Amino acid sequence: MAESRTPSRNLEIGLPLAHEQTYSSDGVDLTLIRWMLSLTPAERLQVLQQSVESLQSLRDARAKR
Amino acid sequence: MPEPSANYLAILKILHQHKVKFIIVGGVCAVLHGAPMATFDLDVVHSRDRDNLTRLSAALEVLGALYRVPGRHEMEPSLSHLASERHQLLMTRFGPLDLLGTIGKGRDYDQLLQETVELEIGPALKVRVSTLESLIKTKEETGQEKDRAALPLLRRVLEEKAKA
Repeated sequence: MAESRTPSRNLEIGLPLAHEQTYSSDGVDLTLIRWMLSLTPAERLQVLQQSVESLQSLRDARAKR
Repeated sequence: MPEPSANYLAILKILHQHKVKFIIVGGVCAVLHGAPMATFDLDVVHSRDRDNLTRLSAALEVLGALYRVPGRHEMEPSLSHLASERHQLLMTRFGPLDLLGTIGKGRDYDQLLQETVELEIGPALKVRVSTLESLIKTKEETGQEKDRAALPLLRRVLEEKAKA
C-alpha cells in the first residue's frame, strides 16, 4: 500500500496552512494527523517509541521524588 | 517484577526472526496508519496453527515472556494457552505484549488476514497490520468504552488518508 509523504503543514514555521481546517467537528486535531501521515510507517513507530520513552522518563522522575 | 519500557521494534524483530505469523492490531496498528496517539502495549493476533504456535513459543522464550495478570505472575504461556481463543497478557523484557487468539466478534488470524496490509517498519522488516477500516470495525464490534473513545480519531485519520 502506498503511503503519502506529502507534507500538509508549513514545516518551516510549524503552523497549518491558511486554508486548512485545524480541528474536526468532533474536536480531533487534524494537524497532528496530517503530520503523522507525512511520515513513513517506520517513522511513525519511532514517534510512538519516543513518546513512550518520554512518558516513562517523566514517570521515573516522579517516582524518585 | 520491574516493568521494562516498551520497545515495539525489538519485540517485532524477534517475532519476525522466528517467522511467526501474526497481525498487529490495536494502538500500534493505529499509529502505523498515522493516528497520533500513545499506547503502552503491543497487541497482535497470532495464527494458531500448530507450527506457528511452536515458532511463537520459541520467540516468547527469547523475549522472556511471562504472564502479567494476577494469579499467573511469573508463569510462562504454554502451547495450550497460546492455542486458546482468549487473550494472553504478557510482559516481556521489551515491554508488554498481548497475544490475542480472537478479536471483535470472534475473528481469528485466518479471518482477519484478508483485511490486512504489509508495512515496512525497518530494513528488511515488513509486518502485517490490520487495515484501518478493519481496526475501526473491530473497535465498533468490541463496544468497550475505551474502544469507542478511539473511534473519532481513527475515523478522521481514515478521512485524511483518503484526501492525501
